[in-house]
Amino acid sequence: MSDATRRRPSVLDIVAIVAVIGALAFSLSSPRVESQGDAARMLFIHVPTIWLAYLAFAVTFLASIAYLVKGKLRWDHIAGSSAELGVVFTTVAIIGGMIWGKATWNVYWTWDARLTLTAIMLFVYIGYLALRRAIPDPETRARRSAVLGILGLVQLIPVHFSVTWWRTLHQTNTFRPRDIQMDGPILAALLASVAAFTIVYAALLRSRVRLAELELRAHIAAAAVEGPVAGDAVTAPAIGDGGAKP
Amino acid sequence: MSDRFWPQALAIARRDLDRERRSGEVAWVTIPFGAIALLLVPLAVGVNQDVLSRIGTGMLFVVVMLFGVLTSIRRTNIETPEQRDAVALLGIDPVAEFAGRTMASALLLLVFEIVMGAVAVPLYGLDLVGWGWMFAVMPLTALGLAELGTLSGSIASSFNAGPALVPLLVTPLAIPLLLGATQTVTAIDSDRGNLSWLVLMAIVVLVLAIVGVVTARPLQETR
Repeated sequence: MSDATRRRPSVLDIVAIVAVIGALAFSLSSPRVESQGDAARMLFIHVPTIWLAYLAFAVTFLASIAYLVKGKLRWDHIAGSSAELGVVFTTVAIIGGMIWGKATWNVYWTWDARLTLTAIMLFVYIGYLALRRAIPDPETRARRSAVLGILGLVQLIPVHFSVTWWRTLHQTNTFRPRDIQMDGPILAALLASVAAFTIVYAALLRSRVRLAELELRAHIAAAAVEGPVAGDAVTAPAIGDGGAKP
Repeated sequence: MSDRFWPQALAIARRDLDRERRSGEVAWVTIPFGAIALLLVPLAVGVNQDVLSRIGTGMLFVVVMLFGVLTSIRRTNIETPEQRDAVALLGIDPVAEFAGRTMASALLLLVFEIVMGAVAVPLYGLDLVGWGWMFAVMPLTALGLAELGTLSGSIASSFNAGPALVPLLVTPLAIPLLLGATQTVTAIDSDRGNLSWLVLMAIVVLVLAIVGVVTARPLQETR
């Protein structure tokens, strides 16, 4: 790696690491929930990851609109990078939820509206990432994936409201400002966890956008390099000594 | 909206339907394929009539959704770069083009739904009580799927993996339509209010139409 592309950890990276350590300490020291045992601690991963999945896809939506309005590729880099992180966080949220479900409901999966719609939302954004990989030209990729980035929000709304629209096994939304039913230390650990994960998202997004910009530079450089031309293999006959006598 | 909008949209729709009439892809491939799928399900899950009548409506709309995607990626719906350039150079409004292509696909999908319904009712022993609501559910499903198909077709056109990507793009996004259609029928069966599901479908159709209109021009410019 050259000096131009190597970088030292930024302040944000360091803050993210410190925040994760702090959140971990909060989570492990929070009181045990008698009814669920240590499985309840999965809450400190599950809630922040699903919140970040929403945030990441909302950022993709907004950055997609910004790209279509402004036409600057930086917005496309933000949209694509955020969708990648959203897919990772959604996957972690689903796996975390399954582990918690096994401990609490005694099943890894149940055909609950929230679970099913979240899994479908994951596939919407896997399709978005597949589309991005299929288009090599940056401008074409940006414009077309921006449309899909906007369409993806259609799916986000039923996912969020599914626990209200249907009587489901999944509990209703954890954060209800007017009706917080959580002990103080557990709430503090959960909020610390949400804050830490959000900082991690910001740090990862920043790094991924930077990487996308480097990829664009590499793409432009590769396109600028003159490729082989038809007839390159044909060489001119040597002249000068062709008529020399032995 | 200019005076030329609807004539242009209708001309595009007529062109697509003419191409379909000549190729017969939906009539001779997609419809028989969907009918075979409806025939295969009872063989897989068992021919218990109670079970079949309970899952029949759901299976009907799953087949409509999955095989309806094939209507969007039908050969006659995929344009070559030269055809697309010709449409753009003729000064066709991109929004009119979106509307025209959606209308043609919606009509084909509606025919597909009606035929699949006609196959599913006797095969699965579906109860026809309250099926008047289908006059609202089927056009909304067809229109929503057509909008999604047209949008995804435009997004995924002109690169090699494009047609292969369309089912992955359309199917998850069509879930609200599938839920709306099946829940309406469930609500009829249990005498609950079914208007809210129709409203959900109408909202999805409207949102897709807005996205299609807003993004028609940027998508045309990337060709």
